[in-house]
Amino acid sequence: MTDIFFDLSVRSVRLNFLRSLLASIGIVIGVVAISSMGMLGANLQLSVKSQLSSNVNTVIVTSDVVRTTSASGVPVSAEGIDKTTLGDIRNAAGQNDVIPIHRSSTQFTIGSTDGRGGIYGLDPNDVTKFLTIESGTNVRGESDALVGSSIASSFNMNVGSRIKIGQNCASVSRPVLRVAGILAARGFATDGVNTDNAIVVPDKWFTDHYGNKDVYDQVNVIVQDIDQINQTENAIDVKVNRRTDVIRITDARSRLTSISQTLGTITMFILSIGAISLVVAAVSIFNVMMMSVKERVQEIGILLSIGTEQGEVRRMFLYEALILGIIGAGVGGLTSFIIGYSVVGAIIGNTSFFFMPDSLLYIPYGMIIGMCVCVASGVYPAWKASNLDPIDALRNE
Amino acid sequence: MEDLPLIRFSDVSKIYHLESGDFPALKHITLDIRENEFIAIMGPSGSGKSTLMNQLGILDIPTSGELLIGGKNIAALTTLERTHLRRDIIGYIFQKFYLIPLLTAYENVEYPLILKYKKRDTTGRAAAVLKDVGFDEELRSHIPSQLSGGQQQRVAIARALVNDPRILLCDEPTGNLDRKTGFQIMDIIQRLHTEGKTVILVTHDPKIADYAGRIIQLEDGRVVEA
Repeated sequence: MTDIFFDLSVRSVRLNFLRSLLASIGIVIGVVAISSMGMLGANLQLSVKSQLSSNVNTVIVTSDVVRTTSASGVPVSAEGIDKTTLGDIRNAAGQNDVIPIHRSSTQFTIGSTDGRGGIYGLDPNDVTKFLTIESGTNVRGESDALVGSSIASSFNMNVGSRIKIGQNCASVSRPVLRVAGILAARGFATDGVNTDNAIVVPDKWFTDHYGNKDVYDQVNVIVQDIDQINQTENAIDVKVNRRTDVIRITDARSRLTSISQTLGTITMFILSIGAISLVVAAVSIFNVMMMSVKERVQEIGILLSIGTEQGEVRRMFLYEALILGIIGAGVGGLTSFIIGYSVVGAIIGNTSFFFMPDSLLYIPYGMIIGMCVCVASGVYPAWKASNLDPIDALRNE
Repeated sequence: MEDLPLIRFSDVSKIYHLESGDFPALKHITLDIRENEFIAIMGPSGSGKSTLMNQLGILDIPTSGELLIGGKNIAALTTLERTHLRRDIIGYIFQKFYLIPLLTAYENVEYPLILKYKKRDTTGRAAAVLKDVGFDEELRSHIPSQLSGGQQQRVAIARALVNDPRILLCDEPTGNLDRKTGFQIMDIIQRLHTEGKTVILVTHDPKIADYAGRIIQLEDGRVVEA
């Protein structure tokens, strides 16, 4: 058998159905905003993490970028990782794969269309250690190249297509590369090798055209056992940065953590935008509850004059707020599921993470927050109702 | 030691602090009401009848003086204690019935039992009291706005009686009823008095006041005749 005060609240909501419905719609919108935005953020994080986590076992070594100014005022930058340092890295890395990388950016022409992108010089034997060739083969000849998935799709390239490297200038003859293979998409790679919009060439071709023979922009160490990653980093650090910091050592995992934190902040930001709609809903609930108290002043007077405790009157109004919250949160939860799915599909283009607990958890979160906001909005009206003077309240027509 | 009456006013005054200045609604009232008395309070408008009823109904406390109800000093009680005393010892019948509009006739009568015992009535007490005051059983599930004035006042009497209070306060109980129904209601109140209730009734109608064993005449906040 239900509480009489709950019954009274239900009947009051039913009596003022339209007003209650409109107030609940505010909560529905708030819950949908919070849940959908939360799910969007969660799906974004999950999606990025899944793209990044494939190369978290990589230690990235770069030259310590210390820009100083010479006496003449000309900026001087570190030149890269030389052969000796590479040897030290190899020694410290032990059995793990060490991949020296040349890197630059270039203009190119495919057919009659010009483009711009990154260019990586790699030992052909290292390519398949961390890159996946989706179609075609690895580079064999000196003028073979691999192209990233974005370039391939943007320029409709196939295996066998030709790329002219360098600025498009009629008077200058440019080197031509043959596409031997097309690389699988990597997304934003935490190992620093972002090949989607880049061309990968043999290291010999790279140094022949860009110079810097035996000087590398980056060295990646692929650690076989992820638990050994810190140990490997320390070994390289001890070996190479003996006196001064020659190289900077980071790992993909710490980059991933930093990116996750950034995405978490973005999620919180979009969640707080969603929360604004809940604030609006809270004002609407507060207004409805105050109207309810105002319209029922005489009824409250009757209740108090025949022996109802102030706490019981408070409870009755809090129940009313809770009922609005339950209706709003319930409908909001269901709607969030549908709208969240659509938003994630439309914005991220991938709903494969939607049903994961980290994503769906935002629906109950949103519902609970919605209900709490509702009840909180009812606290002052309930307090006001319970503190009415029964004599004055009874006189109110 | 003196045997305390059910209600004792000792030099009770009630002053309302209004923007226009202090307004004394009751002035130095000293009055005893004993168990099983039937009292009518009469007086012109503004004489202090309603203020006196508010004091008797424990809806308000005196500004000065001492009011004892059931041996308890009302001013010394907390709000919650006053609420419980009001719930347990007093049955209030109003001129405008003041039924709870969202509850059915039966639920209105059951309500004080729920307040007291914190659960729904399973003893049949609410139904028995409704029957006792001559309420049409078929109308039990009707809400107040679907009932006639006479039926509403029967429900209000049943609600006042259901917790078996010692004091029945009736604030012009026939004021909103036709003459015939008014006398029917008064017959019920008369019967309740003969069954042992202390009845205190406010009225303008001398014929209604004739039911009482003692008439208290108020004028300008003072008892002029008791």
